[in-house]
Amino acid sequence: MDIQGLTAVVTGGASGIGAGVTRVLAKAGAKVAILDRNETLGKAMAEEVGGAAFVCDVANDESVQTALAQAREALGTARILVNCAGIDTARKITSRKTGAHAIGPMKRVVDVNLTGTLICCAHASHAMLDLEPLDDDGERGVLINIASIAAFNAPNGQAVYGASKAGVVGAAVPLARDLARYGIRVMTIAPGLFDTPLAGTMDDALTAKVLRNALFPKRKGRPEELGNLVQHICENQMLNASTIRLDAGFF
Amino acid sequence: MKLEGVAAFLTGGASGLGAASARVLAEAGAIVALLDRDMALAEPLAKELGGVAVQCDVADHESLVAAVEQATAAIGPPRIAVNFAGIDVSQKIASRSKGPHPIESMQREIDINVIGTLDGCALFSEQMMNLEPFEDGERGVLINIASGAAFNGPPGQSVYAASKRAVAGATLPLARDLAPYGIRVMTIAPGFFKTPLAEGVDDKHIDKLISMVPFPKRWGDPRELGELVKFICQNRMLNGETIQIDAAMR
Repeated sequence: MDIQGLTAVVTGGASGIGAGVTRVLAKAGAKVAILDRNETLGKAMAEEVGGAAFVCDVANDESVQTALAQAREALGTARILVNCAGIDTARKITSRKTGAHAIGPMKRVVDVNLTGTLICCAHASHAMLDLEPLDDDGERGVLINIASIAAFNAPNGQAVYGASKAGVVGAAVPLARDLARYGIRVMTIAPGLFDTPLAGTMDDALTAKVLRNALFPKRKGRPEELGNLVQHICENQMLNASTIRLDAGFF
Repeated sequence: MKLEGVAAFLTGGASGLGAASARVLAEAGAIVALLDRDMALAEPLAKELGGVAVQCDVADHESLVAAVEQATAAIGPPRIAVNFAGIDVSQKIASRSKGPHPIESMQREIDINVIGTLDGCALFSEQMMNLEPFEDGERGVLINIASGAAFNGPPGQSVYAASKRAVAGATLPLARDLAPYGIRVMTIAPGFFKTPLAEGVDDKHIDKLISMVPFPKRWGDPRELGELVKFICQNRMLNGETIQIDAAMR
């Protein structure tokens, strides 16, 4: 699809990878609706890119429905959904020192990363079903989910995060199969270490240690580089159901 | 990597996916060398794209060495190398009517698809190693072409699928070998694209194949694959990965 003039919804679009995606899509001519928990950051980002921001907790079905309805009202029905909203509470499944992983944060990570992604896919794609196809192939829209390399190879302390992101990867093919008949594509990106607030919680020593596992280039990815991949996926119609690792060869 | 003015070598670059990718790269400013067996196809395309055509059988080491020398002499060492050269001899591993798959065609397919690709990686990356690094220390990028058959091969494609799975399997160790030199290695696994290889299939079979494609329900346009090749060259965070581009055909 040609992005120019289309509406895109970016969850978690006010910071980190989501901000990179928001900026790249806006630059390519999309009207971007930022769905984020953080109202201040969301509004600032909306102002910067000429889009609109709506407060949303992706783990809450009602909140997602409300925010998507507001976005539709303001910018029209989205043809593009990018699910960037995600959290991580690095914590071992159990240890002598901290005990068993608390159920609260465990549930919250899965609710936001996995259930939240599926909720947004469900409601955003449902709104796309009755849109006019964009071309002779019948394309109506594209959903892009952000997983993580932790889905394939997570370090210790990331059992819950890794499982939540592996769930997102697992959904990729059946989502694409469910929506193919409506001309909606579904793609997943599994980023490595990117320069985001989430990665910023690691100290320099740990960051250096983690980056040793990257083959080349040995640096954090820039959110803009992830945004560029999102743009390419939107534009290249033959990409469907795949999960693309964007990680500088991180194993 | 910025494509303007860089040398790109493409094996099998005279037809199908290779030709379309050569066109996309040339339009983005790259100088292309088409390494192909078929000079009748390679020469006019090279002329059109402002590149060079070099005769080459990728399964023949001497031929590949000579072709790399010739191409390097003409347009300089490669920053980009894409191994498109490949064949498909669809035949069941054994059947009552045809007997066992003959060893000659089996060997030839492996020689071209696997050895040709690995030898290409060896010789192209050797040229890249001593080049001046670009941003981040990047010297070059190798892109290999596997196939959807590598992950989900239909009957009659055991040899093809094995050869293409081998290409996908080499991706990570190749990327590990070449990371110290700032050379990235990526693999693309295409689904159904409109190429001479696919056009050999009869119409009834094609209709059946297309009906199995989720979305979009059509052949891929080789140009769409070329656009992915270009994007891989441009995005440095892509390394050591195989990308399936197949309209969800699994």
